[in-house]
Amino acid sequence: MTVKVEVVEGGVPHKKILAAGVIVSLVCLYLSYLNVMTNTMLYSFFGGLAVVAALYWGSHTIKVLCSYGIGTGVPSAGMISFGSGVIAMLLATKFGVAAPVVALVLAAVIGFILGYLSNEVLNMKIPAMVQALTELAVVGAFTLMGFAVLITGRFTFTELTTGSVSFLGGLATLPSYQVSFIGGCAIAVAFMLGALAIQHPFNACLGPGWTQDRMLMLTAECGFLSMIVGAVMSFALIPAGAALISLIVALIGWGYTYMKYFELSKRDAAAWLDAKPIPDVEGQ
Amino acid sequence: MTAVAAKPAAGGAMNPTAMGVGVVLLLILLGACYFVSPGLGLMALIGIIIGGVLIGFGTHFVPVGGAPAAMGQAPGIATGVAMLAAGAGLAGLSGGAWAAEEGTAVAVITGGVGGGLMMAITCMLVNFVYVFGMGIPAASGKVKKDPITGDTQAEFKSQGTEGHGLPFVSFVGGVIGGILGGAGGTIIYLMLLDLYKATLPITMKATEAQIMPIAVSLAGMFAVGMFLVNAVLTAYNITGTIEGPHDPKFKRWPRSIVASAAASALCGLVAVLIVAM
Repeated sequence: MTVKVEVVEGGVPHKKILAAGVIVSLVCLYLSYLNVMTNTMLYSFFGGLAVVAALYWGSHTIKVLCSYGIGTGVPSAGMISFGSGVIAMLLATKFGVAAPVVALVLAAVIGFILGYLSNEVLNMKIPAMVQALTELAVVGAFTLMGFAVLITGRFTFTELTTGSVSFLGGLATLPSYQVSFIGGCAIAVAFMLGALAIQHPFNACLGPGWTQDRMLMLTAECGFLSMIVGAVMSFALIPAGAALISLIVALIGWGYTYMKYFELSKRDAAAWLDAKPIPDVEGQ
Repeated sequence: MTAVAAKPAAGGAMNPTAMGVGVVLLLILLGACYFVSPGLGLMALIGIIIGGVLIGFGTHFVPVGGAPAAMGQAPGIATGVAMLAAGAGLAGLSGGAWAAEEGTAVAVITGGVGGGLMMAITCMLVNFVYVFGMGIPAASGKVKKDPITGDTQAEFKSQGTEGHGLPFVSFVGGVIGGILGGAGGTIIYLMLLDLYKATLPITMKATEAQIMPIAVSLAGMFAVGMFLVNAVLTAYNITGTIEGPHDPKFKRWPRSIVASAAASALCGLVAVLIVAM
Protein backbone atom coordinates (compact mmCIF):
# COMPACT_ATOMS: atom_id res chain seq x y z
CA MET A 1 0.00 0.00 0.00
CA THR A 2 2.85 2.37 0.69
CA VAL A 3 4.73 2.03 -2.58
CA LYS A 4 5.08 5.49 -3.94
CA VAL A 5 3.98 5.45 -7.55
CA GLU A 6 5.17 8.88 -8.61
CA VAL A 7 7.72 11.38 -7.44
CA VAL A 8 7.80 15.13 -7.76
CA GLU A 9 10.23 15.69 -10.61
CA GLY A 10 11.41 19.20 -11.09
CA GLY A 11 8.96 21.97 -10.40
CA VAL A 12 8.64 23.96 -7.19
CA PRO A 13 9.49 21.94 -4.05
CA HIS A 14 6.61 21.28 -1.64
CA LYS A 15 8.21 23.28 1.20
CA LYS A 16 8.13 26.47 -0.90
CA ILE A 17 4.46 25.98 -1.77
CA LEU A 18 3.70 25.27 1.90
CA ALA A 19 5.43 28.46 3.07
CA ALA A 20 3.84 30.58 0.34
CA GLY A 21 0.39 29.13 1.08
CA VAL A 22 0.55 29.85 4.81
CA ILE A 23 1.95 33.36 4.39
CA VAL A 24 -0.34 34.49 1.55
CA SER A 25 -3.47 33.11 3.25
CA LEU A 26 -2.62 34.72 6.59
CA VAL A 27 -1.73 38.06 4.99
CA CYS A 28 -4.93 38.07 2.91
CA LEU A 29 -7.06 37.21 5.95
CA TYR A 30 -5.46 40.04 7.91
CA LEU A 31 -5.75 42.48 4.99
CA SER A 32 -9.51 41.94 5.24
CA TYR A 33 -9.22 43.54 8.68
CA LEU A 34 -9.04 46.83 6.74
CA ASN A 35 -12.82 46.37 6.64
CA VAL A 36 -13.00 46.95 10.38
CA MET A 37 -10.43 49.76 10.38
CA THR A 38 -12.12 51.73 7.60
CA ASN A 39 -15.64 50.62 8.61
CA THR A 40 -16.53 49.41 5.11
CA MET A 41 -16.93 46.02 3.44
CA LEU A 42 -14.85 46.89 0.35
CA TYR A 43 -11.93 44.65 1.28
CA SER A 44 -14.00 41.45 1.58
CA PHE A 45 -12.50 40.08 -1.63
CA PHE A 46 -9.23 39.43 0.24
CA GLY A 47 -11.11 36.51 1.84
CA GLY A 48 -11.60 34.98 -1.58
CA LEU A 49 -7.89 35.41 -2.39
CA ALA A 50 -7.05 33.67 0.90
CA VAL A 51 -9.29 30.78 -0.22
CA VAL A 52 -7.42 30.47 -3.53
CA ALA A 53 -4.01 30.58 -1.81
CA ALA A 54 -4.99 27.95 0.77
CA LEU A 55 -6.45 25.64 -1.88
CA TYR A 56 -3.32 26.07 -4.05
CA TRP A 57 -1.20 24.80 -1.19
CA GLY A 58 -3.73 22.12 -0.17
CA SER A 59 -3.99 20.48 -3.56
CA HIS A 60 -0.21 20.03 -3.66
CA THR A 61 -0.34 18.49 -0.17
CA ILE A 62 -2.98 16.05 -1.45
CA LYS A 63 -0.61 15.21 -4.30
CA VAL A 64 2.18 14.45 -1.80
CA LEU A 65 -0.12 12.27 0.34
CA CYS A 66 -2.05 10.49 -2.38
CA SER A 67 0.95 9.59 -4.53
CA TYR A 68 1.58 6.90 -1.89
CA GLY A 69 -1.57 5.09 -3.03
CA ILE A 70 -3.55 5.25 0.22
CA GLY A 71 -6.26 3.06 -1.29
CA THR A 72 -9.19 5.22 -0.24
CA GLY A 73 -9.49 7.58 -3.16
CA VAL A 74 -8.32 11.16 -3.45
CA PRO A 75 -11.65 12.74 -2.31
CA SER A 76 -11.29 11.23 1.18
CA ALA A 77 -8.28 13.50 1.75
CA GLY A 78 -10.40 16.54 0.89
CA MET A 79 -13.15 15.33 3.20
CA ILE A 80 -10.91 14.90 6.26
CA SER A 81 -9.27 18.23 5.46
CA PHE A 82 -12.56 20.10 5.74
CA GLY A 83 -14.02 17.86 8.49
CA SER A 84 -11.14 18.74 10.80
CA GLY A 85 -10.77 22.27 9.44
CA VAL A 86 -14.35 23.35 10.14
CA ILE A 87 -14.03 22.29 13.78
CA ALA A 88 -10.83 24.30 14.27
CA MET A 89 -12.17 27.30 12.35
CA LEU A 90 -15.39 27.56 14.37
CA LEU A 91 -13.58 27.65 17.72
CA ALA A 92 -10.91 30.02 16.36
CA THR A 93 -13.51 32.66 15.45
CA LYS A 94 -14.09 33.16 19.19
CA PHE A 95 -10.63 34.74 19.54
CA GLY A 96 -11.39 38.06 17.85
CA VAL A 97 -8.57 39.59 15.87
CA ALA A 98 -6.24 36.66 16.62
CA ALA A 99 -8.65 34.26 14.86
CA PRO A 100 -6.49 33.38 11.78
CA VAL A 101 -3.42 32.62 13.90
CA VAL A 102 -5.48 30.58 16.39
CA ALA A 103 -7.05 28.69 13.46
CA LEU A 104 -3.53 27.89 12.18
CA VAL A 105 -2.34 26.54 15.55
CA LEU A 106 -5.54 24.74 16.53
CA ALA A 107 -5.99 23.09 13.12
CA ALA A 108 -2.34 22.01 13.14
CA VAL A 109 -2.82 20.36 16.57
CA ILE A 110 -6.02 18.58 15.47
CA GLY A 111 -4.44 17.50 12.18
CA PHE A 112 -1.30 16.24 13.92
CA ILE A 113 -3.31 14.07 16.33
CA LEU A 114 -5.48 12.71 13.49
CA GLY A 115 -2.31 11.99 11.52
CA TYR A 116 -0.83 10.12 14.48
CA LEU A 117 -4.05 8.11 14.91
CA SER A 118 -4.15 7.08 11.26
CA ASN A 119 -0.44 6.35 10.96
CA GLU A 120 0.13 4.49 14.23
CA VAL A 121 -3.21 3.27 15.61
CA LEU A 122 -4.65 2.40 12.21
CA ASN A 123 -1.22 1.21 11.04
CA MET A 124 -1.11 3.13 7.76
CA LYS A 125 2.68 3.64 8.07
CA ILE A 126 2.86 6.28 5.35
CA PRO A 127 5.87 8.60 5.81
CA ALA A 128 4.04 11.74 4.64
CA MET A 129 0.82 11.03 6.57
CA VAL A 130 1.26 13.07 9.77
CA GLN A 131 2.60 16.16 8.01
CA ALA A 132 0.00 15.96 5.25
CA LEU A 133 -2.99 15.68 7.60
CA THR A 134 -1.59 18.54 9.70
CA GLU A 135 -1.32 20.72 6.61
CA LEU A 136 -4.72 19.68 5.27
CA ALA A 137 -6.50 20.61 8.51
CA VAL A 138 -4.92 24.09 8.35
CA VAL A 139 -5.94 24.38 4.68
CA GLY A 140 -9.53 23.47 5.58
CA ALA A 141 -9.66 26.02 8.41
CA PHE A 142 -8.12 28.81 6.28
CA THR A 143 -10.43 28.11 3.34
CA LEU A 144 -13.55 28.27 5.50
CA MET A 145 -12.33 31.40 7.24
CA GLY A 146 -11.63 32.92 3.82
CA PHE A 147 -15.17 32.15 2.70
CA ALA A 148 -16.50 33.67 5.93
CA VAL A 149 -14.61 36.89 5.18
CA LEU A 150 -15.68 36.86 1.53
CA ILE A 151 -19.35 36.43 2.38
CA THR A 152 -19.68 38.56 5.53
CA GLY A 153 -16.56 40.77 5.56
CA ARG A 154 -15.58 39.68 9.09
CA PHE A 155 -14.07 36.66 10.82
CA THR A 156 -15.16 36.93 14.46
CA PHE A 157 -17.82 34.73 16.04
CA THR A 158 -20.18 37.59 16.96
CA GLU A 159 -20.10 39.03 13.45
CA LEU A 160 -20.55 35.62 11.85
CA THR A 161 -23.63 34.81 13.93
CA THR A 162 -25.35 38.21 13.98
CA GLY A 163 -26.89 39.83 10.95
CA SER A 164 -29.61 42.42 10.44
CA VAL A 165 -32.88 42.50 8.55
CA SER A 166 -33.99 45.80 7.07
CA PHE A 167 -37.63 46.49 6.34
CA LEU A 168 -39.83 49.41 5.29
CA GLY A 169 -37.47 49.95 2.38
CA GLY A 170 -34.35 50.17 4.53
CA LEU A 171 -35.80 52.72 6.97
CA ALA A 172 -35.49 50.41 9.96
CA THR A 173 -33.23 47.48 10.76
CA LEU A 174 -33.55 44.71 13.31
CA PRO A 175 -30.77 42.41 14.52
CA SER A 176 -31.33 38.85 13.38
CA TYR A 177 -29.35 35.70 14.02
CA GLN A 178 -30.86 33.96 11.03
CA VAL A 179 -29.38 36.31 8.43
CA SER A 180 -25.76 35.44 9.11
CA PHE A 181 -22.95 33.18 7.92
CA ILE A 182 -23.47 30.55 10.62
CA GLY A 183 -27.13 31.09 11.50
CA GLY A 184 -28.17 30.97 7.86
CA CYS A 185 -25.95 27.90 7.33
CA ALA A 186 -24.04 29.56 4.47
CA ILE A 187 -21.11 27.77 6.11
CA ALA A 188 -22.45 24.46 4.76
CA VAL A 189 -22.29 25.76 1.19
CA ALA A 190 -18.81 27.17 1.82
CA PHE A 191 -17.81 23.76 3.17
CA MET A 192 -18.83 21.94 0.00
CA LEU A 193 -17.45 24.66 -2.32
CA GLY A 194 -14.05 24.29 -0.67
CA ALA A 195 -14.13 20.51 -0.39
CA LEU A 196 -14.91 20.10 -4.09
CA ALA A 197 -12.26 22.61 -5.11
CA ILE A 198 -9.52 20.93 -3.07
CA GLN A 199 -10.16 17.34 -4.09
CA HIS A 200 -10.79 17.87 -7.78
CA PRO A 201 -7.42 19.10 -9.16
CA PHE A 202 -5.24 16.11 -8.23
CA ASN A 203 -8.08 13.69 -8.98
CA ALA A 204 -8.34 15.18 -12.47
CA CYS A 205 -4.62 15.54 -13.24
CA LEU A 206 -3.10 12.40 -11.66
CA GLY A 207 -1.40 9.78 -13.75
CA PRO A 208 1.85 9.39 -15.66
CA GLY A 209 1.28 12.69 -17.47
CA TRP A 210 0.98 14.67 -14.24
CA THR A 211 2.66 18.07 -14.34
CA GLN A 212 2.86 20.36 -11.36
CA ASP A 213 2.07 23.67 -13.02
CA ARG A 214 -0.98 22.29 -14.81
CA MET A 215 -2.46 20.84 -11.59
CA LEU A 216 -1.80 24.02 -9.64
CA MET A 217 -3.33 26.15 -12.39
CA LEU A 218 -6.42 23.94 -12.26
CA THR A 219 -6.52 24.45 -8.48
CA ALA A 220 -6.45 28.21 -8.89
CA GLU A 221 -9.20 27.92 -11.51
CA CYS A 222 -11.35 25.80 -9.14
CA GLY A 223 -10.64 28.24 -6.32
CA PHE A 224 -11.78 31.26 -8.35
CA LEU A 225 -14.83 29.31 -9.53
CA SER A 226 -15.80 28.73 -5.89
CA MET A 227 -15.06 32.38 -5.20
CA ILE A 228 -17.59 33.40 -7.88
CA VAL A 229 -20.30 31.45 -6.05
CA GLY A 230 -19.16 32.88 -2.71
CA ALA A 231 -19.24 36.41 -4.14
CA VAL A 232 -22.78 35.89 -5.44
CA MET A 233 -23.82 34.65 -1.99
CA SER A 234 -22.23 37.70 -0.38
CA PHE A 235 -24.82 40.00 -2.01
CA ALA A 236 -27.19 38.82 0.75
CA LEU A 237 -24.97 39.87 3.65
CA ILE A 238 -22.75 42.79 2.57
CA PRO A 239 -23.47 45.96 0.56
CA ALA A 240 -23.90 45.42 -3.17
CA GLY A 241 -20.87 47.56 -4.10
CA ALA A 242 -18.47 45.48 -2.01
CA ALA A 243 -20.00 42.24 -3.28
CA LEU A 244 -19.63 43.47 -6.86
CA ILE A 245 -15.89 44.09 -6.31
CA SER A 246 -15.52 40.49 -5.06
CA LEU A 247 -17.46 39.19 -8.03
CA ILE A 248 -15.37 41.14 -10.54
CA VAL A 249 -12.10 40.01 -8.92
CA ALA A 250 -13.35 36.42 -8.98
CA LEU A 251 -14.47 36.60 -12.61
CA ILE A 252 -11.17 38.12 -13.77
CA GLY A 253 -9.18 35.55 -11.79
CA TRP A 254 -11.28 32.69 -13.12
CA GLY A 255 -11.08 33.87 -16.71
CA TYR A 256 -7.29 34.26 -16.55
CA THR A 257 -6.62 30.91 -14.82
CA TYR A 258 -9.05 29.11 -17.14
CA MET A 259 -7.21 30.40 -20.22
CA LYS A 260 -3.85 29.48 -18.72
CA TYR A 261 -5.10 26.01 -17.78
CA PHE A 262 -6.37 25.51 -21.32
CA GLU A 263 -2.95 26.46 -22.69
CA LEU A 264 -1.14 24.11 -20.30
CA SER A 265 -3.51 21.27 -21.18
CA LYS A 266 -2.74 21.78 -24.86
CA ARG A 267 0.98 21.85 -24.06
CA ASP A 268 0.82 18.53 -22.16
CA ALA A 269 -1.48 16.75 -24.58
CA ALA A 270 0.09 14.34 -27.07
CA ALA A 271 -2.00 15.88 -29.81
CA TRP A 272 -5.17 17.89 -29.98
CA LEU A 273 -7.75 18.69 -32.57
CA ASP A 274 -9.86 21.84 -32.42
CA ALA A 275 -13.05 19.94 -33.21
CA LYS A 276 -16.29 21.86 -33.57
CA PRO A 277 -19.30 20.68 -31.58
CA ILE A 278 -21.43 20.25 -34.71
CA PRO A 279 -19.49 19.58 -37.92
CA ASP A 280 -20.39 21.77 -40.93
CA VAL A 281 -22.19 19.83 -43.59
CA GLU A 282 -20.73 20.43 -47.01
CA GLY A 283 -22.80 22.28 -49.56
CA GLN A 284 -24.77 24.41 -47.12
CA MET B 1 12.36 7.86 4.76
CA THR B 2 12.45 7.46 1.00
CA ALA B 3 9.54 5.98 -0.84
CA VAL B 4 11.46 2.86 -1.83
CA ALA B 5 12.55 2.12 1.73
CA ALA B 6 9.02 2.42 3.09
CA LYS B 7 7.79 -0.90 4.43
CA PRO B 8 4.52 -2.30 3.12
CA ALA B 9 1.56 -1.65 5.41
CA ALA B 10 1.22 -4.17 8.20
CA GLY B 11 -2.37 -4.82 7.14
CA GLY B 12 -4.40 -6.32 9.95
CA ALA B 13 -1.67 -6.18 12.61
CA MET B 14 -2.32 -4.20 15.80
CA ASN B 15 0.18 -1.77 17.26
CA PRO B 16 -0.26 -2.19 21.06
CA THR B 17 1.83 0.86 22.01
CA ALA B 18 -0.10 3.14 19.69
CA MET B 19 -3.42 1.68 20.91
CA GLY B 20 -2.29 2.48 24.46
CA VAL B 21 -1.38 6.02 23.46
CA GLY B 22 -4.81 6.36 21.83
CA VAL B 23 -6.62 5.27 25.01
CA VAL B 24 -4.49 7.57 27.18
CA LEU B 25 -5.23 10.46 24.79
CA LEU B 26 -8.95 9.70 25.10
CA LEU B 27 -8.73 9.81 28.92
CA ILE B 28 -6.71 13.05 28.88
CA LEU B 29 -9.29 14.71 26.61
CA LEU B 30 -12.14 13.51 28.85
CA GLY B 31 -10.25 14.92 31.85
CA ALA B 32 -9.74 18.24 30.07
CA CYS B 33 -13.46 18.39 29.34
CA TYR B 34 -14.28 17.63 33.00
CA PHE B 35 -11.97 20.51 33.93
CA VAL B 36 -13.63 23.12 31.68
CA SER B 37 -17.27 21.99 31.77
CA PRO B 38 -17.97 19.24 34.33
CA GLY B 39 -21.74 18.92 33.89
CA LEU B 40 -23.38 19.45 30.51
CA GLY B 41 -20.13 19.56 28.53
CA LEU B 42 -18.86 16.21 29.80
CA MET B 43 -22.23 14.54 29.16
CA ALA B 44 -22.23 15.92 25.62
CA LEU B 45 -18.65 14.74 25.04
CA ILE B 46 -19.48 11.20 26.19
CA GLY B 47 -22.44 11.16 23.79
CA ILE B 48 -20.21 12.41 20.97
CA ILE B 49 -17.66 9.65 21.64
CA ILE B 50 -20.42 6.99 21.59
CA GLY B 51 -21.71 8.44 18.31
CA GLY B 52 -18.23 8.53 16.79
CA VAL B 53 -17.53 4.93 17.77
CA LEU B 54 -20.86 3.84 16.26
CA ILE B 55 -19.92 5.54 12.97
CA GLY B 56 -16.44 3.97 12.96
CA PHE B 57 -17.76 0.50 13.78
CA GLY B 58 -20.76 0.75 11.46
CA THR B 59 -18.68 1.71 8.43
CA HIS B 60 -16.95 -1.71 8.55
CA PHE B 61 -20.27 -3.36 7.64
CA VAL B 62 -20.74 -1.39 4.43
CA PRO B 63 -19.75 -3.30 1.25
CA VAL B 64 -17.26 -1.01 -0.51
CA GLY B 65 -16.03 -2.02 -3.95
CA GLY B 66 -14.21 1.05 -5.22
CA ALA B 67 -12.96 1.20 -8.81
CA PRO B 68 -12.65 -2.62 -9.24
CA ALA B 69 -16.38 -2.97 -8.48
CA ALA B 70 -17.20 -0.48 -11.22
CA MET B 71 -15.51 -2.86 -13.66
CA GLY B 72 -17.28 -5.87 -12.18
CA GLN B 73 -14.08 -7.33 -10.73
CA ALA B 74 -14.82 -7.04 -7.00
CA PRO B 75 -18.02 -7.24 -4.97
CA GLY B 76 -19.54 -4.18 -3.37
CA ILE B 77 -20.80 -0.71 -4.23
CA ALA B 78 -18.57 1.02 -6.75
CA THR B 79 -17.27 3.96 -4.72
CA GLY B 80 -14.97 4.75 -1.80
CA VAL B 81 -15.50 4.10 1.91
CA ALA B 82 -15.59 7.78 2.82
CA MET B 83 -18.24 8.58 0.20
CA LEU B 84 -20.54 5.72 1.22
CA ALA B 85 -20.19 6.41 4.94
CA ALA B 86 -20.84 10.10 4.40
CA GLY B 87 -23.87 9.36 2.19
CA ALA B 88 -25.47 6.96 4.65
CA GLY B 89 -24.59 8.99 7.71
CA LEU B 90 -25.71 12.35 6.38
CA ALA B 91 -28.99 10.85 5.15
CA GLY B 92 -29.51 9.47 8.67
CA LEU B 93 -28.46 12.75 10.25
CA SER B 94 -31.03 14.69 8.21
CA GLY B 95 -33.72 12.20 9.24
CA GLY B 96 -32.74 12.35 12.88
CA ALA B 97 -32.57 16.15 12.87
CA TRP B 98 -36.18 16.35 11.68
CA ALA B 99 -37.25 14.20 14.64
CA ALA B 100 -35.08 16.05 17.19
CA GLU B 101 -38.14 17.54 18.92
CA GLU B 102 -39.66 14.10 19.57
CA GLY B 103 -37.06 13.16 22.15
CA THR B 104 -33.64 11.53 22.03
CA ALA B 105 -34.76 7.89 21.60
CA VAL B 106 -37.17 8.60 18.74
CA ALA B 107 -34.67 10.86 16.99
CA VAL B 108 -31.80 8.36 17.23
CA ILE B 109 -34.01 5.53 15.92
CA THR B 110 -35.25 7.77 13.10
CA GLY B 111 -31.65 8.61 12.23
CA GLY B 112 -30.78 4.92 12.16
CA VAL B 113 -33.76 4.09 9.98
CA GLY B 114 -32.86 6.97 7.63
CA GLY B 115 -29.28 5.72 7.23
CA GLY B 116 -30.40 2.09 6.85
CA LEU B 117 -33.00 3.04 4.25
CA MET B 118 -30.44 5.00 2.28
CA MET B 119 -28.10 2.00 2.20
CA ALA B 120 -30.92 -0.45 1.41
CA ILE B 121 -31.98 1.61 -1.61
CA THR B 122 -28.37 2.06 -2.73
CA CYS B 123 -27.59 -1.67 -2.40
CA MET B 124 -30.75 -2.69 -4.24
CA LEU B 125 -30.22 -0.33 -7.17
CA VAL B 126 -26.54 -1.28 -7.35
CA ASN B 127 -27.61 -4.91 -7.75
CA PHE B 128 -30.16 -3.90 -10.40
CA VAL B 129 -27.38 -2.24 -12.37
CA TYR B 130 -25.03 -5.20 -11.89
CA VAL B 131 -27.55 -7.88 -12.82
CA PHE B 132 -29.63 -6.21 -15.52
CA GLY B 133 -27.19 -3.59 -16.77
CA MET B 134 -23.83 -5.34 -16.70
CA GLY B 135 -25.15 -8.90 -16.83
CA ILE B 136 -23.14 -10.28 -13.94
CA PRO B 137 -24.42 -12.46 -11.05
CA ALA B 138 -23.71 -11.65 -7.40
CA ALA B 139 -20.88 -13.76 -5.99
CA SER B 140 -18.54 -13.31 -3.05
CA GLY B 141 -14.85 -14.03 -3.46
CA LYS B 142 -13.98 -14.14 0.23
CA VAL B 143 -16.26 -16.97 1.47
CA LYS B 144 -17.34 -20.32 -0.02
CA LYS B 145 -20.93 -20.05 1.20
CA ASP B 146 -23.06 -17.05 2.01
CA PRO B 147 -23.16 -17.03 5.85
CA ILE B 148 -26.88 -16.11 5.92
CA THR B 149 -28.52 -17.93 3.00
CA GLY B 150 -25.97 -20.76 2.70
CA ASP B 151 -25.80 -20.36 -1.10
CA THR B 152 -22.54 -21.52 -2.64
CA GLN B 153 -20.53 -18.79 -4.33
CA ALA B 154 -17.68 -20.40 -6.29
CA GLU B 155 -19.75 -21.51 -9.33
CA PHE B 156 -20.90 -17.96 -9.99
CA LYS B 157 -17.54 -16.29 -9.59
CA SER B 158 -15.70 -15.44 -12.82
CA GLN B 159 -12.08 -16.43 -13.13
CA GLY B 160 -9.56 -13.73 -12.38
CA THR B 161 -11.96 -11.66 -10.28
CA GLU B 162 -12.45 -11.36 -6.54
CA GLY B 163 -16.17 -11.90 -7.00
CA HIS B 164 -18.70 -9.40 -8.26
CA GLY B 165 -22.15 -7.99 -7.64
CA LEU B 166 -23.62 -7.66 -4.19
CA PRO B 167 -24.28 -10.99 -2.37
CA PHE B 168 -27.06 -11.14 0.22
CA VAL B 169 -24.71 -10.95 3.21
CA SER B 170 -23.19 -7.74 1.82
CA PHE B 171 -26.66 -6.26 1.40
CA VAL B 172 -27.50 -7.04 5.05
CA GLY B 173 -24.11 -5.65 6.12
CA GLY B 174 -24.78 -2.44 4.20
CA VAL B 175 -28.12 -1.91 5.93
CA ILE B 176 -26.62 -2.60 9.38
CA GLY B 177 -23.79 -0.18 8.61
CA GLY B 178 -26.26 2.48 7.51
CA ILE B 179 -28.32 2.06 10.69
CA LEU B 180 -25.26 2.34 12.97
CA GLY B 181 -23.83 5.28 11.03
CA GLY B 182 -27.10 7.20 10.89
CA ALA B 183 -27.76 6.63 14.60
CA GLY B 184 -24.19 7.68 15.47
CA GLY B 185 -24.41 10.89 13.46
CA THR B 186 -27.77 11.73 15.05
CA ILE B 187 -26.41 11.18 18.58
CA ILE B 188 -23.58 13.64 17.92
CA TYR B 189 -26.03 16.22 16.54
CA LEU B 190 -28.52 15.84 19.43
CA MET B 191 -25.83 16.06 22.13
CA LEU B 192 -24.42 19.26 20.65
CA LEU B 193 -27.87 20.74 20.05
CA ASP B 194 -28.89 20.18 23.68
CA LEU B 195 -25.62 21.69 24.89
CA TYR B 196 -25.92 24.77 22.66
CA LYS B 197 -29.61 25.29 23.46
CA ALA B 198 -28.74 25.37 27.14
CA THR B 199 -25.59 27.52 27.00
CA LEU B 200 -25.81 29.86 23.97
CA PRO B 201 -28.66 32.01 25.37
CA ILE B 202 -26.43 32.85 28.35
CA THR B 203 -23.22 33.56 26.41
CA MET B 204 -25.00 35.52 23.64
CA LYS B 205 -27.58 37.19 25.92
CA ALA B 206 -30.60 36.26 23.81
CA THR B 207 -33.67 34.06 24.14
CA GLU B 208 -33.63 30.39 23.20
CA ALA B 209 -35.94 31.01 20.22
CA GLN B 210 -33.57 33.65 18.85
CA ILE B 211 -30.43 31.51 19.03
CA MET B 212 -32.07 28.38 17.59
CA PRO B 213 -30.75 28.98 14.02
CA ILE B 214 -27.23 29.29 15.39
CA ALA B 215 -27.57 26.27 17.68
CA VAL B 216 -28.93 24.10 14.85
CA SER B 217 -26.33 25.32 12.35
CA LEU B 218 -23.38 24.95 14.74
CA ALA B 219 -24.48 21.49 15.91
CA GLY B 220 -25.08 20.44 12.31
CA MET B 221 -21.70 21.66 11.06
CA PHE B 222 -19.81 20.06 13.94
CA ALA B 223 -21.74 16.81 13.40
CA VAL B 224 -20.87 16.81 9.69
CA GLY B 225 -17.22 17.58 10.45
CA MET B 226 -16.94 14.80 13.03
CA PHE B 227 -18.80 12.44 10.73
CA LEU B 228 -16.32 13.00 7.90
CA VAL B 229 -13.32 12.67 10.24
CA ASN B 230 -14.60 9.34 11.58
CA ALA B 231 -15.59 8.07 8.13
CA VAL B 232 -12.18 8.85 6.63
CA LEU B 233 -10.30 7.36 9.59
CA THR B 234 -12.32 4.17 9.09
CA ALA B 235 -11.54 4.32 5.38
CA TYR B 236 -7.85 4.44 6.29
CA ASN B 237 -8.39 1.41 8.54
CA ILE B 238 -10.01 -0.60 5.76
CA THR B 239 -7.66 0.68 2.99
CA GLY B 240 -9.52 -0.07 -0.18
CA THR B 241 -12.33 -2.56 -0.49
CA ILE B 242 -14.33 -4.60 2.00
CA GLU B 243 -17.19 -7.00 1.29
CA GLY B 244 -19.07 -6.70 4.54
CA PRO B 245 -19.13 -8.45 7.93
CA HIS B 246 -17.80 -11.73 6.49
CA ASP B 247 -14.66 -10.12 5.05
CA PRO B 248 -11.35 -10.88 6.85
CA LYS B 249 -10.69 -7.12 6.97
CA PHE B 250 -13.71 -6.78 9.29
CA LYS B 251 -11.52 -8.12 12.12
CA ARG B 252 -9.60 -4.83 12.10
CA TRP B 253 -12.45 -3.03 13.90
CA PRO B 254 -10.78 -2.74 17.34
CA ARG B 255 -8.18 -0.36 15.87
CA SER B 256 -10.92 1.75 14.39
CA ILE B 257 -12.80 1.90 17.71
CA VAL B 258 -9.76 3.34 19.50
CA ALA B 259 -9.00 5.81 16.69
CA SER B 260 -12.63 6.95 16.35
CA ALA B 261 -13.04 7.36 20.12
CA ALA B 262 -9.88 9.46 20.42
CA ALA B 263 -10.66 11.55 17.31
CA SER B 264 -14.27 12.14 18.42
CA ALA B 265 -13.08 13.14 21.88
CA LEU B 266 -10.66 15.64 20.33
CA CYS B 267 -13.20 17.18 17.96
CA GLY B 268 -15.94 17.02 20.62
CA LEU B 269 -13.79 18.87 23.13
CA VAL B 270 -13.30 21.69 20.61
CA ALA B 271 -17.07 21.78 20.03
CA VAL B 272 -17.68 22.00 23.80
CA LEU B 273 -15.01 24.70 24.23
CA ILE B 274 -16.86 27.05 21.88
CA VAL B 275 -19.50 27.58 24.58
CA ALA B 276 -17.38 26.81 27.66
CA MET B 277 -14.91 29.63 27.06
